[in-house]
Amino acid sequence: MLNMIPAAITLLADQTESKLSLFPKSASTFSSDSDWIFHFITIVALIFFIAIVIALFGFALKYKKAKGQQAESQTDHNTTIELVWSIGPSFLLIVMFYFGAQGFLNHRTIPEGAYDLGVDAYKWGWGINYGKFVIHPELHVVAGEPTKLTMTSKDVIHSLYIPAFRVKKDIVPGRFNYMWFKATEPSEKIATDEELEQLAAKDAETNASWDYDARQFTPDGYSFYDLYCAEYCGTNHSQMQTVVVVHETREDLEAWIKKYSSRPSTESPASYGEKLYQRRGCKSCHSIDGTKLVGPSWKDLAGKSRPLASGESVTADENYLRESILNPKAKIAAGFQPVMPSYKGQLTDDDIYSLIEYIKSLGEAGASGGETTAAEGEGQPAEAAAE
Amino acid sequence: MSVGSVPAGYEVKDPGYPTPEENYLTNSRGLLTWVFTLDHKRIGVMYLVGVSLAFLIAGLLALGIRLHLFAPDGWLFNNEFFKWLAPDKAPNDIYNQVFTLHGAIMVFLFIIPSIPAALGNFLVPVMLGAKDVAFPRLNLSSFFLWVAGAVFFVMALLASGLDTGWTFYTPYSTTTDTSVILATSGAFILGFSSIFTGLNFIVTINTMRPPGMTWFRMPLFLWATYSTSIIQVLATPVLGITLLLLIAERTMHIGIFDPEYNGDPVTYQHFFWFYSHPAVYIMILPAFGVISELISVHSHKRIFGYRFIAYSSIAIALLGFLVWGHHMFTAGMGSMTTIIFSALTFTVSVPSAIKVFNWLATMYKGAITMTTPMCYAIAFIFLFTIGGLTGLHLGTLATDMHLHDTYFVVAHFHYVMVGGTLVAFLGAVFHWWPKMFGRMYNELGGQISAVIVFLGFNLTFLPQFVLGSRGMPRRYATYDPEFAGLHAMSTWGALLLGIGLLVALVVLLVSLVKGKKAPANPWGAATLEWACTSPPPFYNFERPPVVGDPYEFGDIQWDAASERYVKIEPKRETVPSEKPAESPAHAGE
Repeated sequence: MLNMIPAAITLLADQTESKLSLFPKSASTFSSDSDWIFHFITIVALIFFIAIVIALFGFALKYKKAKGQQAESQTDHNTTIELVWSIGPSFLLIVMFYFGAQGFLNHRTIPEGAYDLGVDAYKWGWGINYGKFVIHPELHVVAGEPTKLTMTSKDVIHSLYIPAFRVKKDIVPGRFNYMWFKATEPSEKIATDEELEQLAAKDAETNASWDYDARQFTPDGYSFYDLYCAEYCGTNHSQMQTVVVVHETREDLEAWIKKYSSRPSTESPASYGEKLYQRRGCKSCHSIDGTKLVGPSWKDLAGKSRPLASGESVTADENYLRESILNPKAKIAAGFQPVMPSYKGQLTDDDIYSLIEYIKSLGEAGASGGETTAAEGEGQPAEAAAE
Repeated sequence: MSVGSVPAGYEVKDPGYPTPEENYLTNSRGLLTWVFTLDHKRIGVMYLVGVSLAFLIAGLLALGIRLHLFAPDGWLFNNEFFKWLAPDKAPNDIYNQVFTLHGAIMVFLFIIPSIPAALGNFLVPVMLGAKDVAFPRLNLSSFFLWVAGAVFFVMALLASGLDTGWTFYTPYSTTTDTSVILATSGAFILGFSSIFTGLNFIVTINTMRPPGMTWFRMPLFLWATYSTSIIQVLATPVLGITLLLLIAERTMHIGIFDPEYNGDPVTYQHFFWFYSHPAVYIMILPAFGVISELISVHSHKRIFGYRFIAYSSIAIALLGFLVWGHHMFTAGMGSMTTIIFSALTFTVSVPSAIKVFNWLATMYKGAITMTTPMCYAIAFIFLFTIGGLTGLHLGTLATDMHLHDTYFVVAHFHYVMVGGTLVAFLGAVFHWWPKMFGRMYNELGGQISAVIVFLGFNLTFLPQFVLGSRGMPRRYATYDPEFAGLHAMSTWGALLLGIGLLVALVVLLVSLVKGKKAPANPWGAATLEWACTSPPPFYNFERPPVVGDPYEFGDIQWDAASERYVKIEPKRETVPSEKPAESPAHAGE
């Protein structure tokens, strides 16, 4: 009997689904689970609310009296009525609690053999660890297969939130938190490779990063679901977003992973380094145009003499850059906080080499004169998870 | 019975007190007589001015938040003016500081002391027919602690701001370079102010009730104040300890909360919410008390279900201690713990619902006068009902997984804190204003302010429920373009709400200059504070008032001739004689 409630409400909600919907698209098994409970509570709440408001305004109009009139009645209690309205609604609360707890236990019961991905959250970006040094900010999963996320934070508390999947879990530094879900609606490939190449070329020209919101597809051409950080984490909390792409089959996913597994032999290290800069989180703290962010800008950094917080100075040669990536707290650039996490074990030697080449391509001492004001020093990098 | 005349067989009972020449506002003059006053009424007025200033500042910060969120990439703080004002701060940083200070000032400096400290100080002793609170010096010191706490917040603001959110979550708060220590010291000091006030009221209500005022003949405002005080005394020390530990963690790296030193950040959340959830009831319980008074007085009808309302205040105070975990449903507590917290959360919704039903039943068959306080009381019931019912979506675990930390939560608690506490506070100020300052305000102006506040508030926060259920996370300085329309609506609503509040302020201030002189009992209420003159004299009562039923309106009559409410009593057949010896037979006695 009770089981008919979910079905009936889901049907009702589907009928009325439109642009006015209260929810983002439903794309995981949890969505239908929790949406009907939401609608059930909303319907119950609306019934009570409408009754209360009718009584409230009804009484206010009906019993509005001129000053000086006496009330029609001075009844001040009625134990039966009071017990009924105290205890009666409790049964509805028990129903809400029961289905809510049941749905919650589904969130907590991770199925055996779920596809396991690492998630590394940091100020302010995401690294999804697909193994074998493939770490990418986008979360790619397979439709119809349970995916388990093993999550850790490098700094403060973050929270991984995918509205379309109706899942959320805090990511607390110093411990692993887990979540799982089963995506149901695969992403579509909505841009051709040609279009993508043109867009990428345009971005490279203007030094822009990929605009997911404007384009509504990923650099690989897939439609996506939003993934947000939901726990306040500082300056760029609201930019700590990435996307979820749902592949139709495991083969599709593996093909996508392979594409990002290492530098294609045809690509120059500097150009690959730029991709790592975009993808691995370097850009959230290091600008390439001289702007001072959380970390020093990479513009005109390589080869320069850099003042350190300790009062000494150091030449930003390859070894200094490499050290700053792997052990960022060894030498702190003057004017910056020692907040960068280490990328040891998360970048291959070729990745580090590519990044250094990219930094060098942004201007080396002597190559471009001009501004000498931008203070810099520390490392650069990217993020990732290595469980 | 005709309107506005004394019914046959009754006569006006003239208390026969002389109107005192001086009242508490005029009996001594000069700034120092205020600074060193021990008079609970003056302390209440100073609190009223203080919390209103805090509200003004925090309200302007709220407008800043809404104006920044006018556009998806941010609007207000992207302005050149802010680049000039704070050249080393990004617009995101300014936004984060503004929402942090908005929350911290509203919670610690406004909502918590608003009704209990400002109005409670004024009303508790007069409602008891007493001259003052039990410990007048403690009372003054709690006000100065409030001022000291406020000064710390201002210093934090001027030093390097605060960007942790009002919750000071670790390890963010132990690592940020903003003024966490100044702000937490401020909150620590404000905690003592709150404890002192609570302690004072508990002792006052326990020991100073006049003969005849049993527990169940107290006005419900006193029940609510009493319940609030219990929470203040029991829960606030935990906040104090937590904030001290946080300061120790930041300065000495002990390793309690920060994982870098083997601490656990979730422990901090438990500690913090063990205070801050009960604090939610510190904020809302006094509002319940105010609404119980307002609805009954302006419906001229006995409060319905007195005992249920009184008991539900105590039930809320106690259950409120057991539900803090519902702020942490997604933090990764054990499954069983989480489920138990969800179940307890549902139990706390029952006593709140009881009160709403009781208020409606009080209005039923009443004689409702649509005064400004009544308009605010009706707005309160409407808004608080929405706030309460949307709590069900959040207490239910499966749906909370989606809604936690989204705008749905923001809308929910603003419906409770602003739609509830602030609206009740405004209703209370309009209700007791004639008593506090002896002046009537322009009734139409007050009613207009209530309508604008009501409309503006709904326009601000209803869209935020939809934003939340569609997945908009809270504390975002920028957002995806799909949310732009609803955010813009919310911003327009905030401006309208601001106008409504401004109208209320103007109406009240104008009354001080132009208002008609207020009679002792302008609303026809039966509680004791209306038995003394408006404004009360320094010593409150000429002679100890006769304690009656606080909700007995049968013997209070509007006298059209003198335009005031008078107390009537059955005409006596014979006049009691001054000299019993000469008296004839007492016919009919």
